[in-house]
Amino acid sequence: MEVLILILRSFANVVVVLALAPLFEGLLRKVTARIQSRQGPPLLQPYYDLLKLLGKEDIESGESPWMQRFAVHLALATVLTVACLIPLGAPVPLAGAGDIILLVYLLTLAGICTLLAGLAAGSTFSLIGISREMITMIALEPLFAITLIIGAVNTGTFRLETVLDGSVYAGGGVPWSGLLMLAVMLLSFQAFVQRVPFDIAEAETEIMEGPLIEYSGPKLAVFKYAQMVRLVIYSSLFVALFIPWGSHLVFPIGWLLFWAKVLVLVLLVTLVAATHARYRIDQALRYYGGLVGVSFVALVLAGFGY
Amino acid sequence: MTPAQALLIALVLCLAGAAVTAVVAANRRLAGWLTFLVTTIASMFALFAAARSLIDGGTAPETFLRLPALGFALTLHVDGLTAVFIGLIASIALPATLFSIRYMDLYPDYGVRRYYSWLLVFIAAMYGLVSTTDMMWFFFIFWQLMTLPGFVMIRFEHRNAANRRAALKFLVMMQIACAVTMLGAGLLAAGTPTVGAGLRFDFETVSANLPALLEGHPGRVALAFALFLVGFGIKLGMWPFGQVWLPDAHPAAPSPMSALLSGVMLKTGVYGIMRYFLWLVPAEATGAYPMTTWGALLAGLGTVTLLTGTLQALRQEQTKRLLAFHSIGQVGYILLGIGACLAVLGLNDAALAPVATVAFMGALLHTVHHGTFKSLLFLNSGSMLLAAGTQDLNRLGGLLKWMPVTGITVLVASFSISGVPGFNGFLSKWTIYTGAIQGVPAGWWLPVCGVLAILTSAVTLASFIKFFGAGFLGRASETVTQAAAGRKRLEKDWTLLAPQLLLAATCVVFGLAPAVAFGLATRALNASREGLGETLAAAVRTAEGLPGMQAVLGGGAHLVPLAVLALLALLGLGGAMLARAGGSSRRTDSPWLTGYAQAGEANRFTAHGYYAEFKRWFRWIGGAPRSGGAGSPNLKEPDHP
Repeated sequence: MEVLILILRSFANVVVVLALAPLFEGLLRKVTARIQSRQGPPLLQPYYDLLKLLGKEDIESGESPWMQRFAVHLALATVLTVACLIPLGAPVPLAGAGDIILLVYLLTLAGICTLLAGLAAGSTFSLIGISREMITMIALEPLFAITLIIGAVNTGTFRLETVLDGSVYAGGGVPWSGLLMLAVMLLSFQAFVQRVPFDIAEAETEIMEGPLIEYSGPKLAVFKYAQMVRLVIYSSLFVALFIPWGSHLVFPIGWLLFWAKVLVLVLLVTLVAATHARYRIDQALRYYGGLVGVSFVALVLAGFGY
Repeated sequence: MTPAQALLIALVLCLAGAAVTAVVAANRRLAGWLTFLVTTIASMFALFAAARSLIDGGTAPETFLRLPALGFALTLHVDGLTAVFIGLIASIALPATLFSIRYMDLYPDYGVRRYYSWLLVFIAAMYGLVSTTDMMWFFFIFWQLMTLPGFVMIRFEHRNAANRRAALKFLVMMQIACAVTMLGAGLLAAGTPTVGAGLRFDFETVSANLPALLEGHPGRVALAFALFLVGFGIKLGMWPFGQVWLPDAHPAAPSPMSALLSGVMLKTGVYGIMRYFLWLVPAEATGAYPMTTWGALLAGLGTVTLLTGTLQALRQEQTKRLLAFHSIGQVGYILLGIGACLAVLGLNDAALAPVATVAFMGALLHTVHHGTFKSLLFLNSGSMLLAAGTQDLNRLGGLLKWMPVTGITVLVASFSISGVPGFNGFLSKWTIYTGAIQGVPAGWWLPVCGVLAILTSAVTLASFIKFFGAGFLGRASETVTQAAAGRKRLEKDWTLLAPQLLLAATCVVFGLAPAVAFGLATRALNASREGLGETLAAAVRTAEGLPGMQAVLGGGAHLVPLAVLALLALLGLGGAMLARAGGSSRRTDSPWLTGYAQAGEANRFTAHGYYAEFKRWFRWIGGAPRSGGAGSPNLKEPDHP
């Protein structure tokens, strides 16, 4: 019985994420257009796009097509697995299956799929893209890992349901480490969700979507879907870690409050994306380097109990 | 038959086999198969010894040969810790020797006598080194028996001056390590009474005298331990010693030997550190033994080792040289685990002892896991060398089409070493991180080391994405298309594939079933209860009762890889069904290069181009790629039409 409830709650998380992700994407596109004084596509356009792509011809250009297929499906599977390991306005469904270190690595795995896909496609443009994507991953992974580990140090446990509940502020007194990480994550969030000014790996105007350049039809649909889900996942993680207040209210209120917070975060991402120009990879790397330095200071502060 | 007797039989069998192989070495295939046969039988005995010891919960040391005048006795002791290392040696030697049979065809101009005979001596010496209780004479004998074959096989292609230099460097470093370690043993044993069997340099005597020595001459003990750290540090490739000999030695040796060097021989250094820093020190001496300081030193050195090794590896463009630098990097994780264990033990807090046990288990498991995935990677690079004739990643590409089996095993090993969930590397790294981060009461620096290790894991991933991508994915290079001309497969026969498949399967099984690995580590601890091992073993019991140690530290950290993997597979299938739902057609075409460029060798993205901006940042770290850089002959200036 317990297992059945767990499965149902995981399923609910997956369904909610899948249903809402294109909506957030549509919103993002619409708001971006309005900021740039355009009319913009209908709010539901991403749903139509996905459906249309599913029926389009699938052209495989790599020399190892089965690796292309594997990478694409693993990409979506990974982000959806993460959806079962984080709170989406309700308790974590699969808290018993892993802990925060698993979470860090699963998010890395989601990135690996993009890398494999780009590598398997074999275009020079996609390889430039994956080289940039990997550099970004090396720089960003510690930021996220340190945030979670500060939570773990504060609460003395690695459990998902404890750490993903505002644990960064759980140190004694003024939570300096938590506040520092809040600043760091706000400054790097655009990069986590791969939006301008840090969409360097895809850079449509420069290397033509990088890792995705050779993908079309259903594979592109699945990949795009995974990217939309990624936006929701990271926004939810941010809310769970840094804006936990009110998530424990009774079911519809807490749930709605949670998604309202996610919505605000997505709008913030849109605002930044629509008003900035893309950085070069070396500029971005310097920027990330500074943030990594600051987050290590935060970790040491957490070690001393601040 | 007791475990010690079985091990002695394995040891003698290997030595006898070496003599016989030397006689028949004119017939290359016969010598190869004979070596494999001898290794198989010896491995069976060794595995029996290990299993017996783990099942029985440890055994007493057994003396086979005594020369009391010199304080000289061949005493073998197969306790839990030794059993793990013996098991590792036996299970890596088996695939490596099977792989050798066909692989040695790569060197038609060189006789194989020097290879097979010395290989067996090498294996025998390692069995001896991890089981002898003599810190002086038999340590010396086994160390030399291990070093000399290593030297001979690193300079196997002796007509190449670089290989001779690499071998000489190895020899000199190993002799320094030997002398330093024996000096340390001498310092501990000098002027102390003997106990038990009356052997001055026996673990038993030294251990019994250590509390008094720690009280009376703490400086001398500290010096001795520092010498042990240097000696074994040289062996296991610790920064800064590892960088001196390791990256040159591994690529020079034939690939199966590289697999043994990296997968097994480095681990004798790990064994030494574990045995001397933890098992040699009796529990009652903990007050005077500055464990937290040693722990901090080891964890710090480990972190520096893993950072430098991995960042240098990222710059490499030769397959085996890249792997060699990663050996340094991965050994850093093991040192970090041991350091965290010592640092936490130093707090003398019973509530925190399980954290120390977890850190130690992480180190022990990573030793075993690194043994499997790194020897697999070396066998993989051997296969690539055999198929394409080059170690230069810049000249490889698109091999997956011709070597699917090797490709998949490379992917498994790459995922293992970079710690992707579901593979064995993740399990042991996860355990080490848990130990380091939960060990925060020992000092703020411990979680910082842990996070640096997590960060380095991403760099490892980057490096292996390059390794796999440049070798197997991307577009086929000229070298590969020429090698494959007219052939459907470049993979040779089953003796090359079976060892790789076996090791890859081990990586997956250990990764998916943590109960196997943790069960092994628990048994090992329970079966070796001398010194601080007793403290570690006692702490396991408090963590027991939780299913297969999946939930360690009272449920504070836990992992069920099988559930996660099942979920991944299920959702992946769902995605695949979604992709089918539209009923779209599928066809193959060549990549689009903006319409006016032709795909060719000149615009192929090679290993040199990966992560350029990041590598530029870390140029100061050293380890510049040996060759195959910008000036390598295959990277011609593109000729524009």
